[in-house]
Amino acid sequence: MNRAIGVMTEDLGGLALFVKDVFLTALRTRSNARPLVAQVALVSFRSLPTVAFAGLFVGAILVLQFNLILSRYDAQIFLGGLNTSAVIREVGPLIISFLLAGKVGAYTAAELGTMRVTEQVDAIRCLGTDPLQYLVLPRFLAIILSSLLLLTLSLMIGIAGSVVVAQLLCGINPLQYVTAIPRFLNPAIFAAALLKCGLYGFIVAAVSCHQGYTARNGARGVGQAVTRAAIYTNLYIIFAQFIASPTLNWMLGAAQ
Amino acid sequence: MIRFEGVTKAFGGRKILDDFSFEVGKGEILFLLGKSGMGKSVTLKHIVGLLKPDWGRVFVDDIEVSCLDEARLGPVRRKCGMVFQHPALLDSLTVRENVAFGLRAPEWTEARALERVRETLGLVHLGPELLDRLPAELSYGMQKRVSLARTLAPGPDTLLFDEPTTGLDPITTTAVNALIHDLSRNLHVTSLVVSHDMESALKLADRILVLDQGRILALGTPQDIERSPEPLVQDFLSEALERRRTR
Repeated sequence: MNRAIGVMTEDLGGLALFVKDVFLTALRTRSNARPLVAQVALVSFRSLPTVAFAGLFVGAILVLQFNLILSRYDAQIFLGGLNTSAVIREVGPLIISFLLAGKVGAYTAAELGTMRVTEQVDAIRCLGTDPLQYLVLPRFLAIILSSLLLLTLSLMIGIAGSVVVAQLLCGINPLQYVTAIPRFLNPAIFAAALLKCGLYGFIVAAVSCHQGYTARNGARGVGQAVTRAAIYTNLYIIFAQFIASPTLNWMLGAAQ
Repeated sequence: MIRFEGVTKAFGGRKILDDFSFEVGKGEILFLLGKSGMGKSVTLKHIVGLLKPDWGRVFVDDIEVSCLDEARLGPVRRKCGMVFQHPALLDSLTVRENVAFGLRAPEWTEARALERVRETLGLVHLGPELLDRLPAELSYGMQKRVSLARTLAPGPDTLLFDEPTTGLDPITTTAVNALIHDLSRNLHVTSLVVSHDMESALKLADRILVLDQGRILALGTPQDIERSPEPLVQDFLSEALERRRTR
């Protein structure tokens, strides 16, 4: 147990230093949109079907659960507001970011890890190019931007899917469903959800790039890096959710 | 010129280099021989600043590279090209883009860079039909040759070879050995070659250094090495003799 905590603390310190290096690299890098746009397109298209599928079903599952409870109290009029609020505030960003960690995060850790153990990173350094600038920075920024795009899109699909499921399986009129939404949501809540999406995207980017970039010891090391990237990303996201939810609610006055 | 002064390097408490000192002159070919894990590749990585010594100093042309930070290592790395043990080509780039990777300075126009890419591919016996192929579409031997071309392209003064002929067929091995020889004799390129191949070392090297347990076991001309009484050196020599006999 002590050893596990020691390893994780050491890793967290390494992650902080890595993020600092990436940040300093970003400051001294002249903006070059081409590799960034290419990476955003790659990451977004690769994950779009998974994220859309998950978004749709997260919304659908919650509708069925909330309908079960609200129908007991004859309060189905609140279904649209309650469900959309839950999807946007907590459940949507959390579940979708877990999927992104498994898909984009694992892919990035494996890709960078393989480059590291096959000496591609050292070769880039020897040819006078900074690998943080050339390999890591475009991936890092692309994951954050893609996460924002994908999470926003999946939340929209989730809400749209909820409307359909509410009508087909719960007999709720779509107009009644949609008119209930503003009673539970305001622009500040949307802003808080977007901030969370950005934060979770940042965690996926930082952990997966760090684990891949520091991989060692051949194929086994790459496997360990991918596993650690998936586990640590999910743990850090849960912890971030625990801190970010009350903080953002308080900061943006979105508690109501 | 490359100089190591009392370099010590340990990984996880195990000394890989132990008070290691040697010097390579301009245009010289020095072969570094030794069993696996004895610090040969670690030695090369110290020269280009991929590793820093725990103790001691490393010089390239009187510049102490062991105290330079990443930003100031650029000029040293432009002087010293390194051919890695793995081909280490960038998977997502074509052969042309890989070989031209070190030619991104402003003085290299696109046309000039392409000409240089074709020229260096020719030096490693590869034709221009490979220019638009990806590394995954090439055999391992071809990938190693592309990697060698990439290192040669910027025209470094010093070449560091980490097992350059491992995985290559005998004809390409002979061509690579001839290339190392020609670069040294015609262009005065200094070459440090990490190898297990005593036969090539005896043919090509000006001097041979045999490493064991992080220390120099033997250092001298091929003739000196052939006369060495050290059992490890004799093992390498008899293995080379055996290979010659079986061919």
